[in-house]
Amino acid sequence: MKTSESEYRLEMTGISKSFGVVSVLENVNLKVKPGEIHALLGENGAGKSTLIKILSGVHQKDSGKVVLNGEEINPKNTHDGQVLGISVVYQELSLVNDLSVAENIYLHKLGASKFWMNWKELTKDAQELIDSLGFKIDASATVRSLSIVQKQVVEIAKALSEDTKVLVLDEPTTVFDPTDTKKLFDNLFKLRDKGVSIIYISHHLDEIFKIADSVTVLRDGVDTGSMAIADTDTDGVIRLMIGRELKDLYPTRDVQIGEVPILEVKDLTAKDTLVHDVNFSVRPGEVLGIAGLGGSGRTETAKLIFGAHKKKSGSLILNGKEIKTNTPVCAVGHQIGFVSEDRKEDGVFLPLSIRRNISVTNFKGIAGKLGFINIDNEYKNVLGLIEKLNIKAPSSEVNVKNLSGGNQQKVALAKWLSIDSKVIFIDEPTRGVDVGAKIEIYNLINEVAKKGVGVVVISSDMPEIMGISDRILVMHEGTVYGELAKAQFSEENILRYSIGEQLKQAV
Amino acid sequence: MELTIKQQLSSPGGVLKFLVKHNTIFIFILLVIFSALISDVFFTSVNLSNLLKQVSGIGIISIGMLLVILTGGIDLSVGSMVALLAVTFAILVNVVVLPAAILLTIIIGFGLGSIAGYLVAFQKMAPFVATLALMTIARGLGFIYSKGSPITFKTPGGEFMSNFANNSTLGVPNIAIVFFLIVILAMVLLRYNVFGRLIIAIGSNEEASRLSGIKVNKYKFLVYAISGALAATAAIIVASRTNLGSPNMGMAWELDAIAAVVIGGASLNGGKGTAINTLMGVLILGLIGNILNLLNVPSYPQQVVKGAIIIFAVLLQRFESK
Repeated sequence: MKTSESEYRLEMTGISKSFGVVSVLENVNLKVKPGEIHALLGENGAGKSTLIKILSGVHQKDSGKVVLNGEEINPKNTHDGQVLGISVVYQELSLVNDLSVAENIYLHKLGASKFWMNWKELTKDAQELIDSLGFKIDASATVRSLSIVQKQVVEIAKALSEDTKVLVLDEPTTVFDPTDTKKLFDNLFKLRDKGVSIIYISHHLDEIFKIADSVTVLRDGVDTGSMAIADTDTDGVIRLMIGRELKDLYPTRDVQIGEVPILEVKDLTAKDTLVHDVNFSVRPGEVLGIAGLGGSGRTETAKLIFGAHKKKSGSLILNGKEIKTNTPVCAVGHQIGFVSEDRKEDGVFLPLSIRRNISVTNFKGIAGKLGFINIDNEYKNVLGLIEKLNIKAPSSEVNVKNLSGGNQQKVALAKWLSIDSKVIFIDEPTRGVDVGAKIEIYNLINEVAKKGVGVVVISSDMPEIMGISDRILVMHEGTVYGELAKAQFSEENILRYSIGEQLKQAV
Repeated sequence: MELTIKQQLSSPGGVLKFLVKHNTIFIFILLVIFSALISDVFFTSVNLSNLLKQVSGIGIISIGMLLVILTGGIDLSVGSMVALLAVTFAILVNVVVLPAAILLTIIIGFGLGSIAGYLVAFQKMAPFVATLALMTIARGLGFIYSKGSPITFKTPGGEFMSNFANNSTLGVPNIAIVFFLIVILAMVLLRYNVFGRLIIAIGSNEEASRLSGIKVNKYKFLVYAISGALAATAAIIVASRTNLGSPNMGMAWELDAIAAVVIGGASLNGGKGTAINTLMGVLILGLIGNILNLLNVPSYPQQVVKGAIIIFAVLLQRFESK
């Protein structure tokens, strides 16, 4: 049925959806015009993903109406959605690792095309598509060999096609550094000008204000507001998202930083990665930030110190004594912790309970000589940490896969607090974590440092790294290129060091 | 903490959820009731003790298989290992004193398992391939050492073992007691010991385990070695039951062991499975064979039924994970 001419490309009205007894969406409205970027905001669990999945056909709504170009639609599966011109770039990468970039990009079109595929031609087309996005990726490379940033680009390329009318991006920039993010935004502007409706989900409010034309905010399955971006500001949006005023995102640092370094890294060079001649030290109580572009060797440096990558030369001095960390086992033995950037991939054990996740590093503390676990001690330790970190779960026996991103991250951290780590490396502490949980994690980092732990935070999020660090190292091409004291913190300074430039002289 | 049974049952849709969650045990109970109804012979002590004797050998290697599968691996060599080690035990029992023969057989089993463990953990060979190779090697060695024919026990030690394996204590067959003790040991290890916790962690996410400072290689090595030692235990038991060691023993047992573990709800991807459910899986497989025998169903249709039961059990587990 054709309704009268509307200014909107997409109108979702009165959408409700529940899973079993849990109501996820209640009477939600989302309206997007052609040629606009519409931001969809909300904390984790607010219902953004469910709303998108109803739009794309993954889930079916219980009630409400979806109208696309004036016609009511009811996609029953993702294929229906694609045929209607709805493309979604999900937060979880959905690429096939063993296929090539080109094969991945055209994978979803296989069923519709003729029997034989001309891969040569498709590879050429894929290459043109990627080149037009402004990224350097070989279309014939296997996806497995790509960096996580490149994978994200392929994911985006896959969603683009001639007849895309509505493009949905769920947290596309979490893995991007500022340069890549800018490239992505330029592409989005191009698409917008071509008349594509873009729904953009992000936790980065500064991004939203940079690119969006309008915004809809969800909280606990209800839409709390929809407006043009010009009519609101950060505080206004946060108020709609969490239902309360937000004083400070970053905690005040009033920590006593020790004089003597707890960990010194000297001339560290990797065997298999680009990391070379890294020198720095962390003092007890200090939060040391490591910034740099993607691929500058930040994560690799942390993994090298932690023993997850092989060293070629250099030394580590912990509390004045030289230590060897040839494997993670040695590093953990010296009470060095590492929270990895890809929480789901290698940070937590998704199918295991919170208790089993936290205990995994700490069997010395809770098990006897023959390895038999003192269950009472275990519960005491685990429940103590759950309370201290404010991990939101009905019990310690809930599987970690059922927790929100923020709570999963807290579990990953709890593992290292459980063994009283002296130095903890945290790679991208708040990737894919909502605003409320972000604040909690920042406070947690602050608290951990207060106890005299040396905390090293790696982050691509500039406001974040400036907000929580006492000092920032900037990496460029595998080594520490520059160091910024608190007074020198600025996005420009970080960026200058990141691309191998010198700071502007103060006038 | 875990919900009590009462709480589980009173929650919405609770009864169904409870049934699905403990599906292995319910399939087992249903099969027992069904068997009792259609056959008068089923609930006789002779039949039940026969049933237990028949499943004990496969049961013991199933526990080893469970440990391997929990790490995300697989051990195809156990059936052939039973053959080789049964021959080994028969040779040993005829030349050395009984305790030495038992101990040596188990040590050799541990050693053979260690080879698989070494290849998988330290040489990064795919478990399927490494244990497939060992499977044919072990079977071949079994035929070589026995010269292709069974080796009979000839010493008092052998006679003692034969008596032990065919008799019962308090109505329970001795070899079933050995099997149950191993199940209990595995239960305790998996629930209350660091070893169990770590192999489950490794199976659920190997890289996260490595980055948590777990000695991943050591534990992967150990599960194959233990599986080998359990294959030796099973070999001693089956050889003793028949008073001989034959290279034809344990034919395709690895497949039954895998089936038992899978019926018990374990995931072949690792990280999920319990000893008690594997015990149920073993008993379910044994029961199906037993009842079909009592009904005089020939062996070929039996295989079809077994396969159908595996599919049914795994489909049921789908509901559980939803």
